[in-house]
Amino acid sequence: MKGLTKRYETVYIVNASLDDAQIDAIIEKTKEFIVKQGGEIQEVEKWGRKRLSFPIQKKNNGFYVVTYFSAPGDFVTKLTRYYHLEEQIIRHLTILLDKKALLALEQKAKEKEASGEAQGESSAESTSGA
Amino acid sequence: MIRNTRKPGRYQRGGTQVRKKRVCRFCENDTTYIDYKNEKRLQRFVSEQGRVIPKRITGTCSKHQRMLIQAIKRARHLALLPFVSEAVR
Ligand SMILES: [Zn+2]
Repeated sequence: MKGLTKRYETVYIVNASLDDAQIDAIIEKTKEFIVKQGGEIQEVEKWGRKRLSFPIQKKNNGFYVVTYFSAPGDFVTKLTRYYHLEEQIIRHLTILLDKKALLALEQKAKEKEASGEAQGESSAESTSGA
Repeated sequence: MIRNTRKPGRYQRGGTQVRKKRVCRFCENDTTYIDYKNEKRLQRFVSEQGRVIPKRITGTCSKHQRMLIQAIKRARHLALLPFVSEAVR
């Protein structure tokens, strides 16, 4: 079964009226689910609370979470089922990352790294100065 | 007159060319992937009502317009962009 894994990106919106601890619990639960079902997580990015462009289930705000992972092809169906069963997840989207998407992602990461390094250097300088 | 306003590449009576700059912004940057998560970038290609602006107006090429539409649809699904809204309330 192993070997034929593909890279995916999944975004889900958690009910933002929950408190931070409850939201974190859902994020942890989702991570666990992905790993248990044979997925491998590259990165989990929390965008945090955001205003929705239109109400979903009568809610105007949502907590956005992006997860990058690799998994075998039949995993996405399981993940979709999981999302449907989790009542506090009000919207979700999973997409396959093709070569072009991966390339764009890599480039973005590089840019982030470069800007991060620059910041790191400047802070290191300030600490050495002090 | 109507025809003239529709086709900005034409010569006007005076002889001066009024070619509107119609270069695909995505081609300019060698874009190979349009990210649906960057809603600020997508917003420029969507009208106030939330409609996709036709490529003849924005100057986007067909290839990139297709990529753009896919990104906009994904962004709408995640409520990052609105669906087409009715006329002013
Ligand atoms: Zn183009």
